[in-house]
Amino acid sequence: MSEGSASRSDRVIIDEAVIDIYRELTDGSNVEQAPFRTHKDVFMLAVALGFQRGTRRSAPSHSKHTIRKEVFTDLDYHLLKAIAIATTGDVEVLMRQGEVLTIAEEFAQVGIHEVKSNLMEQAGRPLWNLVSLT
Amino acid sequence: MKLDRIVLENFRQYFGKQRLTFARDPQRNVTIIHGVNGAGKTSLFLAINWCLYGRAVDNTKIVENVGELVSKELISRAVRGDRLVTSVELHFLHEGERYMARRNLRGTRQDGASVVLDSTDHFTLMRTRSDGQTETIKNPILTINAMLPPNVRTYFLFDGEKIDEFAKPESRKDVKDAIYLVLKLEILERAKRHLETNADEYSRELRKVSSGELAQLLDREVKAREERTSDEAQKIEHMRSIESARRKIVDIDTTLRESQNARELQSQRDQIEQALRERRGELESLIGQIRDLAVTSYFAIAQPAVDRALQILDEKRQRGEIPSSIRQQFVQDLLSQMRCICGRALTDGSTEHQRLLNLLQHSLPGSLEDDVLDTSAKLQPFAERVGRQRQDIDTAMRRRTELVGAINQLEAELSDIRHQLTKSPIEEISRLERQRQEFAADIDSANLKIGGINVHLEKLTKEINQLEKEIARAKTEEQRANLLQTKVDLTRRSANAIGEMYERFADDMRLKIEAKTKEIFKLLAWKGDHFEDVRLGTDYHLEVIDRYGTPARPDLSAGERQVLSLSFITAMSRVSEEEAPLVMDTPFGRLSSHHRNSITLHLPALADQLVLFVTDEELRDQARSNLEEKIGFEYRLSFDPRTSCTTIEEEGV
Repeated sequence: MSEGSASRSDRVIIDEAVIDIYRELTDGSNVEQAPFRTHKDVFMLAVALGFQRGTRRSAPSHSKHTIRKEVFTDLDYHLLKAIAIATTGDVEVLMRQGEVLTIAEEFAQVGIHEVKSNLMEQAGRPLWNLVSLT
Repeated sequence: MKLDRIVLENFRQYFGKQRLTFARDPQRNVTIIHGVNGAGKTSLFLAINWCLYGRAVDNTKIVENVGELVSKELISRAVRGDRLVTSVELHFLHEGERYMARRNLRGTRQDGASVVLDSTDHFTLMRTRSDGQTETIKNPILTINAMLPPNVRTYFLFDGEKIDEFAKPESRKDVKDAIYLVLKLEILERAKRHLETNADEYSRELRKVSSGELAQLLDREVKAREERTSDEAQKIEHMRSIESARRKIVDIDTTLRESQNARELQSQRDQIEQALRERRGELESLIGQIRDLAVTSYFAIAQPAVDRALQILDEKRQRGEIPSSIRQQFVQDLLSQMRCICGRALTDGSTEHQRLLNLLQHSLPGSLEDDVLDTSAKLQPFAERVGRQRQDIDTAMRRRTELVGAINQLEAELSDIRHQLTKSPIEEISRLERQRQEFAADIDSANLKIGGINVHLEKLTKEINQLEKEIARAKTEEQRANLLQTKVDLTRRSANAIGEMYERFADDMRLKIEAKTKEIFKLLAWKGDHFEDVRLGTDYHLEVIDRYGTPARPDLSAGERQVLSLSFITAMSRVSEEEAPLVMDTPFGRLSSHHRNSITLHLPALADQLVLFVTDEELRDQARSNLEEKIGFEYRLSFDPRTSCTTIEEEGV
């Protein structure tokens, strides 16, 4: 699934098909309805839920919507590295930034639907549904 | 173009090198080449054509069988394996410059008097510069084609036997083509076609680009902005109602506070409302804190990945693959000094030495080792951080529950106060409280409406932002469409202008050629007065009108048709003002002495250069004497039946 990641860009791709989920959870002034400040935070939650589910799916190779690697905090990136190590069982993945990002994208492709189902398709408002996930 | 000299080498019956100079003095511009049938007139005529254009031009063959160009005498004298050369060299002048065109064909002699020819002939064109130096022209074929286009060739180098073709009824297209080609009208037509093709391409592109999208987008933007303005106006209206209702509530509260019977309840209400505002403010701030904690909940959800990664990293360390806090460089330094970390000297092969070697062999590359150590160090505190985060969220959620409870309690107390005041036995207090509740209900209702408007406004603002982006894009597209439309208009107008120019020019040329053909035909045809007129109609029908005003063609003799064609060709050459030789192979064969006499009398003055390949029978008596003063060079093609070769012999003038 993660082949060809050696020469990839350092932006993570957000599939255009799910961009509305990102928008709905970040747009607006009502924090209970749209708790996230950035698309990056939604992406990180999607990666975590994708990893929890244990399923990955290839992301499209191009999209109008991307997140630059610099947007991720140092802690975020270390979490992505941990996910890459746990997924491959190989510490040398640390030397391959492209593969770390590709693995994250692939988990997010699956995890974003978990985000939708857990946060937006439950009875409560997204913020309280998010709290109950932890 | 004016011909100067031709040199033939082993070309058909011309064995060895044979030369012939063409007359080009304006006073003596006629070259006569005599030859009996079979002596080599047609071969010499062919040599000029082959030299300039090769074996075929535009799918029209000039030479049927290239093998026949090689002198049979040459082949017979060669032995197997000899390389044979056949060539024609044509010297000519064009627009004041001197040129030499040379085409040669090589082959190898085989057994049985046969020759295997090289796959292609070789053509070179040289120009003599004004300083006398010669230079090779790099694109010789294009240059020759520009000087005397191949499709124009047959109007200047022609076979007298076929010359009457223009006067045949089916020749309208030939006549039209001839005019277009010789007068270079074809260039205009090609330019028109080219522009029309471009205009069609631009139109196709335009159809793809312009879809009227911009107008639709602008329309949608106007509507969205109008809606937003209307929403904002409504919102202001609702806010005014709220303000008014609040003022009225403040007034009622003041009255109640001043009323002895309601003072205490109103005072309680003031305190409760103050407490309620504080709790609500605290709750709002708490929700913000919970949000900040919750958005990073992905750390907690992904903690199993962190645990697993740390486990893998630890296993590596335990296996000695990651030297814990011992840097690779440090191990290398110890080994190079052969000293243990405690300072003792190491002996080669000792347990300590071996252990250090193992440590180095199994350790990871330097940069990876750094990364592993860094990642490991960064991941360790994750669990603790996640635990703390969970506690913080729990605490905040508990506080939220408390606040919600407190708010509910305060709301219940307010409700009770409202109830008591409404049920007050004092009519005025009860009325005021009911009014107060109505104003409060108005405020709630207005707030609800403002909430709805805000949601709608948020949606509209997003829509307007999106529309602005799309409008900017569509404007760029429209600019492109406008540019394309301008291009379409311009190319179509240019094509039309060229078309009109072309029609006018073609018509002008047609009339000039008609007048010139008539003038020449009257000179050359012996029955000049019998023929009233020569017409070249808009349909390019070349017609002779007799004195009765009727078309004379059915009655024209073969000779008269030939004279009419010759008149037409000569007229074209005059009108085009292009300098070109008129090379005619057996021009007078079909003509009676009347026509021969008039043609020989007038043709030298009508052509820039005249080359006539004639039999003795064609040119004698009066015809011969008419030409006498115009002849610059005269040759005889002498065929020797013993050698089957022809030699070119100059005759004294």
